[in-house]
Amino acid sequence: MHPNERLPPLPRSWWLKHRYFIAYMVREATVLPLLFFAVCLLAGLIALLRGEASWMNWLAFMGSAPVLLLNGLALAASLYHAWTFFQLFPRVMPLRIAGRPLPHQAVVAAQWAGVAVVTLISLWLFMGGAR
Amino acid sequence: MSDKPSRRQAFDEPLWWGLFSAGGVCFAVFVPAAILCLALLAPLGVVPLDAERARSMLFSLPGLLFVGAVICLPLFHAAHRIRHGCFDLRLGHDGVNKWLTYGSAASLSAAALTGVLIGMLM
Repeated sequence: MHPNERLPPLPRSWWLKHRYFIAYMVREATVLPLLFFAVCLLAGLIALLRGEASWMNWLAFMGSAPVLLLNGLALAASLYHAWTFFQLFPRVMPLRIAGRPLPHQAVVAAQWAGVAVVTLISLWLFMGGAR
Repeated sequence: MSDKPSRRQAFDEPLWWGLFSAGGVCFAVFVPAAILCLALLAPLGVVPLDAERARSMLFSLPGLLFVGAVICLPLFHAAHRIRHGCFDLRLGHDGVNKWLTYGSAASLSAAALTGVLIGMLM
């Protein structure tokens, strides 16, 4: 587990030595733009509580180029995370239907279909579909 | 603060791992749509989102669930990965990092949920 006193500590650059380790660290880093997006949303929530003018300011802040860029990065990070996460699921929990193992690709595809459905429902809701 | 594993870890780690896991599902399934609608399409004016409409959408029971799925659980997911990332890079001490990361996730989550509840009462 965590601290291991029997081994000498690795140099901080250990993960640069192999592309799998780099991919691992990139996946770990996907939470940094996610954190930015979550804090943005929290700021939006507070702006909404403060009233109309604050909300308009928040929308303007969200529309500024650096913020749009960071949130675009957050979208890319969330999709990269999803890609790694969906491949993990059939390996951690192999599913069987009528005794036959379900192909991994089918489970991954079903999860992407879930993302597509959630995205379409969200777009429909935000476009004013529920009014 | 010592980095030695304490006996207590055996009791609380499943909680953090469970929150991390639930947050991972939300990060993959709900967060992309939320970023697309709220952080890209709404500020660009593609999606109409005036204050009145935002209030009616957010300050409701579905709004509370939305905050849980798009802010709170992903924050615990992020906290877990940041804590372990710090450990991988040997930054700080795990005992302290644990308090900082999960503590921040818990505080921000509490603030977000309280915000929605205040909005519902307003």
